[in-house]
Amino acid sequence: MQHQFLRILALSFIVLVVLQSILGGALFIVLAGWNPHTIGLYYSEKSFRGLLEILTPHVLFISIALMGTLHFLGFISTISEKKKEFLIHLLFGLFVIDQSAPIFIVLGLKLFATIKLVAFIAFESALVFALIVIFRESLRDFSLHH
Amino acid sequence: MVIFLLGALVLNGIAKGIDFGMTPVMWINTILGNEAEFIEPLLLSDLLLSLHTDLFGLILIFILMTALLIRTSRAKGFKITVLLLGVITLLFYGIGLITSLWIGRVGVIFSWGGFYLFHLLMIGIALDIFILLIRKKF
Repeated sequence: MQHQFLRILALSFIVLVVLQSILGGALFIVLAGWNPHTIGLYYSEKSFRGLLEILTPHVLFISIALMGTLHFLGFISTISEKKKEFLIHLLFGLFVIDQSAPIFIVLGLKLFATIKLVAFIAFESALVFALIVIFRESLRDFSLHH
Repeated sequence: MVIFLLGALVLNGIAKGIDFGMTPVMWINTILGNEAEFIEPLLLSDLLLSLHTDLFGLILIFILMTALLIRTSRAKGFKITVLLLGVITLLFYGIGLITSLWIGRVGVIFSWGGFYLFHLLMIGIALDIFILLIRKKF
Protein backbone atom coordinates (compact mmCIF):
# COMPACT_ATOMS: atom_id res chain seq x y z
CA MET A 1 0.00 0.00 0.00
CA GLN A 2 2.89 2.34 0.78
CA HIS A 3 4.05 1.86 -2.85
CA GLN A 4 0.71 2.98 -4.21
CA PHE A 5 0.80 6.17 -2.13
CA LEU A 6 4.40 6.77 -3.07
CA ARG A 7 3.33 6.42 -6.72
CA ILE A 8 0.49 8.97 -6.32
CA LEU A 9 2.75 11.28 -4.32
CA ALA A 10 5.43 11.04 -7.04
CA LEU A 11 2.83 11.89 -9.70
CA SER A 12 1.47 14.80 -7.65
CA PHE A 13 4.98 16.09 -7.06
CA ILE A 14 5.73 15.90 -10.81
CA VAL A 15 2.55 17.80 -11.73
CA LEU A 16 3.31 20.56 -9.23
CA VAL A 17 7.02 20.84 -10.11
CA VAL A 18 6.06 21.05 -13.82
CA LEU A 19 3.54 23.83 -13.04
CA GLN A 20 6.13 25.68 -10.97
CA SER A 21 8.76 25.31 -13.73
CA ILE A 22 6.34 26.61 -16.39
CA LEU A 23 5.54 29.60 -14.15
CA GLY A 24 9.25 30.22 -13.54
CA GLY A 25 9.98 30.02 -17.27
CA ALA A 26 7.08 32.36 -18.11
CA LEU A 27 8.17 34.85 -15.45
CA PHE A 28 11.76 34.75 -16.74
CA ILE A 29 10.58 35.45 -20.32
CA VAL A 30 8.26 38.28 -19.21
CA LEU A 31 10.98 39.95 -17.11
CA ALA A 32 14.22 39.20 -18.94
CA GLY A 33 13.15 38.10 -22.44
CA TRP A 34 14.45 35.31 -24.64
CA ASN A 35 17.73 36.58 -26.08
CA PRO A 36 21.12 37.06 -24.40
CA HIS A 37 21.06 40.82 -25.05
CA THR A 38 17.85 41.47 -23.06
CA ILE A 39 18.92 38.95 -20.39
CA GLY A 40 22.25 40.80 -20.05
CA LEU A 41 20.42 44.14 -19.76
CA TYR A 42 17.98 42.79 -17.18
CA TYR A 43 20.67 41.45 -14.85
CA SER A 44 23.21 44.25 -15.35
CA GLU A 45 20.66 46.74 -13.94
CA LYS A 46 20.32 44.72 -10.74
CA SER A 47 22.06 45.55 -7.48
CA PHE A 48 23.81 42.89 -5.39
CA ARG A 49 20.78 42.91 -3.08
CA GLY A 50 18.45 42.38 -6.05
CA LEU A 51 20.54 39.40 -7.14
CA LEU A 52 20.41 37.90 -3.65
CA GLU A 53 16.63 38.34 -3.57
CA ILE A 54 16.39 36.12 -6.66
CA LEU A 55 19.16 33.70 -5.68
CA THR A 56 18.10 32.88 -2.12
CA PRO A 57 14.59 31.45 -2.74
CA HIS A 58 15.80 29.63 -5.86
CA VAL A 59 18.68 27.93 -4.08
CA LEU A 60 16.29 26.87 -1.32
CA PHE A 61 13.42 25.66 -3.51
CA ILE A 62 15.39 24.04 -6.33
CA SER A 63 17.60 22.17 -3.84
CA ILE A 64 14.46 20.73 -2.24
CA ALA A 65 12.71 20.10 -5.59
CA LEU A 66 15.82 18.34 -6.94
CA MET A 67 16.23 16.32 -3.76
CA GLY A 68 12.57 15.25 -4.01
CA THR A 69 12.80 14.42 -7.70
CA LEU A 70 16.09 12.55 -7.41
CA HIS A 71 14.83 10.76 -4.30
CA PHE A 72 11.96 9.33 -6.37
CA LEU A 73 14.41 8.58 -9.20
CA GLY A 74 16.53 6.60 -6.74
CA PHE A 75 13.66 4.13 -6.28
CA ILE A 76 13.46 3.35 -9.99
CA SER A 77 15.18 0.22 -11.20
CA THR A 78 14.79 0.58 -14.99
CA ILE A 79 17.70 2.98 -15.44
CA SER A 80 21.25 2.16 -14.38
CA GLU A 81 22.99 3.62 -11.33
CA LYS A 82 25.54 5.26 -13.66
CA LYS A 83 22.80 7.09 -15.54
CA LYS A 84 21.23 8.21 -12.26
CA GLU A 85 24.61 9.48 -11.05
CA PHE A 86 25.14 11.35 -14.32
CA LEU A 87 21.69 12.92 -14.10
CA ILE A 88 22.29 14.03 -10.49
CA HIS A 89 25.63 15.68 -11.38
CA LEU A 90 24.16 17.22 -14.53
CA LEU A 91 21.15 18.73 -12.75
CA PHE A 92 23.10 20.17 -9.83
CA GLY A 93 25.92 21.35 -12.14
CA LEU A 94 23.55 23.15 -14.52
CA PHE A 95 21.70 24.63 -11.57
CA VAL A 96 24.92 26.11 -10.14
CA ILE A 97 25.86 27.60 -13.56
CA ASP A 98 22.32 28.92 -14.12
CA GLN A 99 22.15 30.60 -10.72
CA SER A 100 25.69 31.96 -10.59
CA ALA A 101 25.73 33.38 -14.16
CA PRO A 102 23.86 36.62 -13.16
CA ILE A 103 26.67 37.46 -10.72
CA PHE A 104 29.19 37.39 -13.59
CA ILE A 105 26.82 39.43 -15.79
CA VAL A 106 26.69 42.13 -13.08
CA LEU A 107 30.50 42.03 -12.94
CA GLY A 108 30.54 42.96 -16.64
CA LEU A 109 31.08 39.58 -18.31
CA LYS A 110 28.29 39.76 -20.92
CA LEU A 111 29.13 36.29 -22.27
CA PHE A 112 27.44 34.86 -19.18
CA ALA A 113 24.05 36.02 -20.52
CA THR A 114 24.37 33.35 -23.24
CA ILE A 115 25.73 30.83 -20.70
CA LYS A 116 22.77 31.60 -18.42
CA LEU A 117 20.27 31.03 -21.25
CA VAL A 118 21.91 27.76 -22.35
CA ALA A 119 22.20 26.50 -18.75
CA PHE A 120 18.55 27.42 -18.05
CA ILE A 121 17.24 25.55 -21.12
CA ALA A 122 19.56 22.57 -20.46
CA PHE A 123 18.52 22.44 -16.80
CA GLU A 124 14.79 22.51 -17.64
CA SER A 125 15.34 19.79 -20.31
CA ALA A 126 17.29 17.54 -17.93
CA LEU A 127 14.62 18.04 -15.26
CA VAL A 128 11.85 17.20 -17.74
CA PHE A 129 13.78 14.04 -18.72
CA ALA A 130 14.07 12.95 -15.06
CA LEU A 131 10.37 13.69 -14.48
CA ILE A 132 9.36 11.70 -17.59
CA VAL A 133 11.36 8.70 -16.34
CA ILE A 134 9.60 8.86 -12.94
CA PHE A 135 6.20 9.52 -14.55
CA ARG A 136 6.52 6.56 -16.95
CA GLU A 137 7.63 4.26 -14.14
CA SER A 138 4.87 5.48 -11.82
CA LEU A 139 2.20 4.71 -14.42
CA ARG A 140 3.67 1.34 -15.51
CA ASP A 141 3.51 -0.64 -12.27
CA PHE A 142 4.37 -0.49 -8.60
CA SER A 143 8.02 -1.16 -9.20
CA LEU A 144 9.07 1.87 -7.15
CA HIS A 145 10.71 0.00 -4.33
CA HIS A 146 12.22 0.86 -0.98
CA MET B 1 6.82 20.63 12.43
CA VAL B 2 3.02 20.24 12.26
CA ILE B 3 2.55 23.26 14.56
CA PHE B 4 4.88 25.39 12.42
CA LEU B 5 3.17 24.26 9.21
CA LEU B 6 -0.20 25.13 10.76
CA GLY B 7 1.15 28.58 11.62
CA ALA B 8 2.51 28.99 8.08
CA LEU B 9 -0.86 28.05 6.56
CA VAL B 10 -2.82 30.48 8.74
CA LEU B 11 -0.33 33.32 8.17
CA ASN B 12 -0.27 32.67 4.43
CA GLY B 13 -4.07 32.80 4.34
CA ILE B 14 -4.06 36.11 6.24
CA ALA B 15 -1.28 37.54 4.02
CA LYS B 16 -3.25 36.62 0.90
CA GLY B 17 -6.36 38.15 2.48
CA ILE B 18 -4.45 41.43 2.94
CA ASP B 19 -2.96 41.33 -0.58
CA PHE B 20 -5.89 40.10 -2.68
CA GLY B 21 -8.83 40.24 -0.23
CA MET B 22 -10.94 37.54 1.39
CA THR B 23 -13.89 37.34 -1.02
CA PRO B 24 -13.99 36.41 -4.75
CA VAL B 25 -15.15 39.95 -5.61
CA MET B 26 -12.11 41.44 -3.87
CA TRP B 27 -9.82 39.02 -5.76
CA ILE B 28 -11.48 39.96 -9.06
CA ASN B 29 -11.04 43.69 -8.32
CA THR B 30 -7.37 43.25 -7.36
CA ILE B 31 -6.40 40.96 -10.24
CA LEU B 32 -8.55 42.20 -13.11
CA GLY B 33 -8.99 45.77 -11.87
CA ASN B 34 -12.19 47.78 -11.57
CA GLU B 35 -12.75 50.88 -13.68
CA ALA B 36 -15.63 52.10 -11.49
CA GLU B 37 -13.40 52.09 -8.41
CA PHE B 38 -10.28 53.24 -10.32
CA ILE B 39 -8.37 50.03 -9.50
CA GLU B 40 -5.65 49.12 -12.01
CA PRO B 41 -5.37 45.43 -13.01
CA LEU B 42 -2.36 43.51 -11.68
CA LEU B 43 0.64 43.48 -14.05
CA LEU B 44 1.41 40.11 -15.67
CA SER B 45 4.89 40.06 -14.13
CA ASP B 46 3.46 40.79 -10.64
CA LEU B 47 0.80 38.11 -11.09
CA LEU B 48 3.36 35.50 -12.15
CA LEU B 49 5.78 36.52 -9.39
CA SER B 50 3.07 36.28 -6.73
CA LEU B 51 1.97 32.84 -7.97
CA HIS B 52 5.55 31.57 -8.39
CA THR B 53 6.58 32.53 -4.84
CA ASP B 54 3.29 31.33 -3.37
CA LEU B 55 3.44 27.91 -5.00
CA PHE B 56 6.97 27.45 -3.67
CA GLY B 57 5.74 27.38 -0.08
CA LEU B 58 2.47 25.61 -0.79
CA ILE B 59 4.13 22.70 -2.67
CA LEU B 60 6.54 22.19 0.23
CA ILE B 61 3.69 22.25 2.76
CA PHE B 62 1.68 19.81 0.62
CA ILE B 63 4.56 17.34 0.19
CA LEU B 64 5.51 17.45 3.89
CA MET B 65 1.92 17.06 5.05
CA THR B 66 1.11 14.19 2.69
CA ALA B 67 4.40 12.45 3.51
CA LEU B 68 3.21 12.46 7.15
CA LEU B 69 -0.36 11.49 6.25
CA ILE B 70 0.83 8.39 4.36
CA ARG B 71 2.34 7.06 7.56
CA THR B 72 -0.79 7.49 9.69
CA SER B 73 -3.35 4.80 10.48
CA ARG B 74 -6.11 6.53 8.46
CA ALA B 75 -8.07 4.57 5.82
CA LYS B 76 -6.59 4.14 2.34
CA GLY B 77 -9.52 5.88 0.62
CA PHE B 78 -9.19 8.90 2.91
CA LYS B 79 -5.49 9.26 2.17
CA ILE B 80 -5.96 9.02 -1.59
CA THR B 81 -8.85 11.52 -1.49
CA VAL B 82 -6.72 14.01 0.46
CA LEU B 83 -3.77 13.56 -1.91
CA LEU B 84 -5.90 14.10 -5.01
CA LEU B 85 -7.92 16.97 -3.48
CA GLY B 86 -4.67 18.69 -2.47
CA VAL B 87 -3.23 18.49 -5.99
CA ILE B 88 -6.52 19.51 -7.65
CA THR B 89 -7.04 22.56 -5.39
CA LEU B 90 -3.41 23.67 -5.87
CA LEU B 91 -3.80 23.31 -9.64
CA PHE B 92 -7.07 25.25 -9.52
CA TYR B 93 -5.26 28.03 -7.70
CA GLY B 94 -2.34 28.19 -10.15
CA ILE B 95 -4.10 27.48 -13.43
CA GLY B 96 -7.15 29.58 -12.46
CA LEU B 97 -4.95 32.61 -11.82
CA ILE B 98 -3.06 32.24 -15.12
CA THR B 99 -6.18 31.57 -17.20
CA SER B 100 -7.91 34.59 -15.64
CA LEU B 101 -5.93 36.59 -18.23
CA TRP B 102 -8.12 34.97 -20.92
CA ILE B 103 -11.30 33.81 -19.17
CA GLY B 104 -11.52 36.65 -16.64
CA ARG B 105 -13.72 36.30 -13.57
CA VAL B 106 -14.26 32.53 -13.85
CA GLY B 107 -10.51 31.92 -13.63
CA VAL B 108 -10.18 34.18 -10.57
CA ILE B 109 -13.11 32.45 -8.83
CA PHE B 110 -11.54 29.03 -9.49
CA SER B 111 -8.25 30.35 -8.17
CA TRP B 112 -9.85 31.83 -5.04
CA GLY B 113 -11.72 28.57 -4.37
CA GLY B 114 -8.58 26.49 -4.95
CA PHE B 115 -6.48 28.66 -2.66
CA TYR B 116 -8.85 28.66 0.32
CA LEU B 117 -9.94 25.02 -0.11
CA PHE B 118 -6.30 23.97 -0.17
CA HIS B 119 -5.61 25.92 3.01
CA LEU B 120 -8.69 24.52 4.78
CA LEU B 121 -7.79 20.98 3.67
CA MET B 122 -4.18 21.27 4.84
CA ILE B 123 -5.20 22.89 8.16
CA GLY B 124 -7.65 20.01 8.70
CA ILE B 125 -4.99 17.41 7.90
CA ALA B 126 -2.45 19.15 10.13
CA LEU B 127 -4.92 19.14 13.04
CA ASP B 128 -5.77 15.48 12.37
CA ILE B 129 -2.09 14.49 12.35
CA PHE B 130 -1.51 16.57 15.48
CA ILE B 131 -4.34 14.78 17.35
CA LEU B 132 -3.08 11.38 16.16
CA LEU B 133 0.40 12.24 17.41
CA ILE B 134 -0.94 13.30 20.82
CA ARG B 135 -3.03 10.13 21.11
CA LYS B 136 0.01 8.10 19.99
CA LYS B 137 -1.98 6.51 17.15
CA PHE B 138 0.48 7.48 14.45
